[in-house]
Amino acid sequence: MTTDLTTWHPIASSTDLPMRHIYHGQLWGREMAVWRADDGHVNVWENRCLHRGVRLTVGLNEGRELRCLYHGWRYANRTAGCTYIPAHPADAPARTICNNTYSAVESHGLVWSAVDPIGEFEAPAVLNGNDVLALRPIPVKAAPDIALKHAKSYRFSPIGEGCADVTLVEETDNHVQLHAKQDQSKATLLLFVQPVDAGRSILRGVLTDQPADAGNILRHHNRRMQALRDVIEAEATMLPVPEPIEVQFSKVDEELAKMPARAKSGPKAELRVSVAHKWDASEGVAGFRLEALNGQLPTFQPGAHIDLHMPNGMSRQYSLTNAPGETDFYRIGVKREPDSRGGSECMHNAVQAGDVLAISAPRNNFPLRRDALKTILVAGGIGITPMLAMAQTLHVQGLGYELHYFAQSEAHLSFPDVLKTFGSNLIPHIGLDPASTGGALKELLSGYDYAHHLYICGPGPMLEATRKIAAEAGWPEDAVHFEYFKNTKEIDDSSTFEVALARSALTLQVPAGRTILEILQENGIEAPSSCEQGACGTCLTTVIEGEPDHQDVYLSDSEKASNQKIITCVSRAKSKRLVLDI
Amino acid sequence: MTELKCTDPVILNQWHPLSSIDEITPGLIHSTMLLEENISYGMDTDGNAYAWPFDNQLPTRSRLTSKTVRNPLPIHIAHGYVWTSLGEPPETLFSFEEYYEADRINVPTGVFGVNVSAGRAVENFLDMSHFPYVHTGILGEEPHTEVKEYAVEVSETRDEVLATQCQFYQPKAALASEGGAMVDYTYRVPHVNCALLYKSSPNDASRSDVIYMFLQPMSQDWVRAHTGMCVIDEDNTYESIRYFQQVIFGQDKPILENQYPKRLPLDPRSETPIRADKTAIAFRRWLSRKGLRYGVIPAAA
Amino acid sequence: MKLYDYELSGNCFKIRLFLNILGIEYESQTVDFYPGLEHKSPEFLQLNPLGQLPVIEDEGKVLRDAQAILTYLAVKYDASGLWYPVSDPGRLGEVAQWLAFADGITGTASAARLHDGLFYELDVEAARAGAHRLFRILDEHLWFAERVGRDWLVPGDHPTIADIACFPYVALSEEGGIYRQGYPAIRRWCDRVKRIQGFVGMSGIFTTSHAA
Ligand SMILES: N[C@@H](CCC(=O)N[C@@H](CS)C(=O)NCC(=O)O)C(=O)O
Ligand code: FES
Ligand SMILES: [Fe+2]
Repeated sequence: MTTDLTTWHPIASSTDLPMRHIYHGQLWGREMAVWRADDGHVNVWENRCLHRGVRLTVGLNEGRELRCLYHGWRYANRTAGCTYIPAHPADAPARTICNNTYSAVESHGLVWSAVDPIGEFEAPAVLNGNDVLALRPIPVKAAPDIALKHAKSYRFSPIGEGCADVTLVEETDNHVQLHAKQDQSKATLLLFVQPVDAGRSILRGVLTDQPADAGNILRHHNRRMQALRDVIEAEATMLPVPEPIEVQFSKVDEELAKMPARAKSGPKAELRVSVAHKWDASEGVAGFRLEALNGQLPTFQPGAHIDLHMPNGMSRQYSLTNAPGETDFYRIGVKREPDSRGGSECMHNAVQAGDVLAISAPRNNFPLRRDALKTILVAGGIGITPMLAMAQTLHVQGLGYELHYFAQSEAHLSFPDVLKTFGSNLIPHIGLDPASTGGALKELLSGYDYAHHLYICGPGPMLEATRKIAAEAGWPEDAVHFEYFKNTKEIDDSSTFEVALARSALTLQVPAGRTILEILQENGIEAPSSCEQGACGTCLTTVIEGEPDHQDVYLSDSEKASNQKIITCVSRAKSKRLVLDI
Repeated sequence: MTELKCTDPVILNQWHPLSSIDEITPGLIHSTMLLEENISYGMDTDGNAYAWPFDNQLPTRSRLTSKTVRNPLPIHIAHGYVWTSLGEPPETLFSFEEYYEADRINVPTGVFGVNVSAGRAVENFLDMSHFPYVHTGILGEEPHTEVKEYAVEVSETRDEVLATQCQFYQPKAALASEGGAMVDYTYRVPHVNCALLYKSSPNDASRSDVIYMFLQPMSQDWVRAHTGMCVIDEDNTYESIRYFQQVIFGQDKPILENQYPKRLPLDPRSETPIRADKTAIAFRRWLSRKGLRYGVIPAAA
Repeated sequence: MKLYDYELSGNCFKIRLFLNILGIEYESQTVDFYPGLEHKSPEFLQLNPLGQLPVIEDEGKVLRDAQAILTYLAVKYDASGLWYPVSDPGRLGEVAQWLAFADGITGTASAARLHDGLFYELDVEAARAGAHRLFRILDEHLWFAERVGRDWLVPGDHPTIADIACFPYVALSEEGGIYRQGYPAIRRWCDRVKRIQGFVGMSGIFTTSHAA
């Protein structure tokens, strides 16, 4: 057996992967952590947490995410992207932290993988359309080529006893096909040799048809295959033990090797998704299920949003409402805004199931801490969307939380199917006027204690009110997290000033009517942005010198007062000059 | 010893710990492995220590007399341990003043074999963010998982990695402490295979307990970990301190033995550091600068 | 009840684990096994002339040997009778069979661990080979048990002290260089044992995720 890394091999049986287990596989020396998520998806990952190399097979399969045993980093089903780093609970992990994965296909009772496949997986033709039976795999301490050589001589009976005529039908570079005939009975077996390492293999047999007496047949093969193993191992012990295959690990992104001060906003690569489903999520809110046109959607964390580019050329931000591990689609909710600039109108009327849309990768400027002793989520109206992702995360991890949802009426409660999974953690507040909303907020915010955290998303006035009430109730600023979905402030763009870019050694003029961000982008400076109205925080930049004129709703009051950060899409300068760390 | 299996001068020229003095039976020959070589050692009844490449004439557990040793290796006795070298060791060993303070008790907490490289073991010793997950309920506990900013420097004068102002929440900070508290740490790596941590003493806020780990590399990926504590602790017995440390060490062991690859990768792009790993980053860079090759995967030039 | 105990001992862990599952309060008295060799001291030899851990003292009764202690605890304190099915001779026989098997695991897998971790002088290759022989038998047994929907060593819906007795040195085997990658059914059974109500870990054995 030559080391052909492109060949697909069975590396596990489906029955090896019960829920909440991590199977330890290996192919050509590469160790693999193989696990089934609660949604049934089979993940085959390099068996190495990219943080400090700890085997993921000693980690925990939590159903939607795999948790590393060493420092508790969490990795999402399918994407293998890191969703949470407990040592830095207030930061969103850089989106590109991602474990290495291998191709995986589950079919015919087996899980198949290849180190470096060319093209799609194709099962051996004799298996197709059959109700097959995977036998108990037998590990062998011998080189794959020795095992394959002996596999031909495997003898078995279709009825589990006595002597059959066994003929070799086919021999490939990873299996033999044997046909056994005994009186009226017949059976066809594919016997695969999985190359585990230079000196280790696994014999994996699959019968092309379910035998009548499966229990007996399985025992028969188990006995015979162990006898075959002993023969193979007897030969192998006469030979020198081969050195294990030395695995070259691929390097992590250059950007990750440096220690980022904070998670950087990632690539702006646009993704194409199709609208798989559109439905009424509640009165005036449309739900959209977006699926990748090809490949895998990127990892998201609770609180993340995407930019959605609409057919009418507009772009809008929408929070993802997905639960952890729901990685094969994105779900968003879009409210019909009567005085909309056309975005929601277009989503409601023009966009239909089957349409293709362009979106950005998810960005998370509203990260959720998971080290709180108690978390209070406050949502107003369509502000529920990021809260759904957060509440589902807290819920599946068994962390204490309350979700307060302020809505006009019962009929305005969006995504009721998700809401009902929260049980008594969900506290709806229906049809309250501003005064009674204030009263309700006062009550629910009255019990601040150490390590409690508050997350708010909703219309501007409600957000302002909640922040004010929280401050009065003794909530420290760093325990209050919020996301505006738009900046309703009147932006004053009449000033003119100069920005000096410290790292780029460039000085630029910002005239009245133009933003810092526009000027940066015009001059070829890499400057990520998203909402461009001072709400999402994507364009956050460090100020080295000068006094900003803050006009955003993203920074907290003390962050604004410290003058160390600026939101370049709306804020300007009070001083003649600003020096930015770009 | 003519042909050595290890050819890395950086590691050959270090002092390596062989045993705590406490565990040597005077007058008897002991043996161990160092850098893949079989080594014998012992102390005579006058307190002189010897080490030499294994010699058939001097079997393990036979009687040791100074006259019998034919090819003595360099010897250094310091910090309660006997140290030797297979190359040309420096004149001195790193300082460890606390060890010599009169009111402390020095407890060697045992020597353990671990299937991992010395570098991985040192790095684990410098790491706080694993406390809630690996030493659950003792040195850390969810949800208190945050690693606050701290300072790291490589001291020019002493050639050691130093991390200061480290803080971590601990439900049971030491044997003598009850209840959770933020605990202050300082870490020192004064030797490629040795690390010490200073941790605020529950008995005397102005002073620190010291925990150390001196690693004896038996091979590139198998070490003897000599662990010990040097504490101001009136309430606890020698045995209970030892026991506490063994529980902790026993929890780290399966983690260390499941690091893949076993040797410490020095290429900055081999793994993913975060801010909490500043000490480990400084440690890896420091090893790279020294040109260490044994037990590590050097960064490609 | 008093348990003469050492945290890193898998045999002592069998008792701690079972006492915790049964919810029985006990006093743990640490024996300085390593490096102190207290279990070989004259005082300890009075308790157990074999010089081994664990030993319990319960209402004046002194008992050695982990398997013997598990049996005693099950019959005396497990009112459900599920952990040690005294009234079912067939299953009881199987329990006893696996208790003896557990001692075989101690003699091989535990020995290899003592060699690698605490530098005991013994033939480690022989110990590892012996453990692999036992693990092959165990994995095969568990694989066929799973086929018919059985989770435990002995037929029945409930684990028995056989599972408790066999688990610790299987779970600690990698510390002795005995890797379990080739024993997938053993690895799954370890997860199931970790999900038994009342499970606690020890240094070297972590808990696992919750069942789905
Ligand atoms: N069959 C005994 C074996 C106990 C045993 O091996 N105990 C170890 C500690 S885990 C011990 O005390 N070993 C010391 C010795 O055998 O000298 C049991 O199951 O309890
Ligand atoms: S090694 Fe996996 S989280 Fe640190
Ligand atoms: Fe640790």
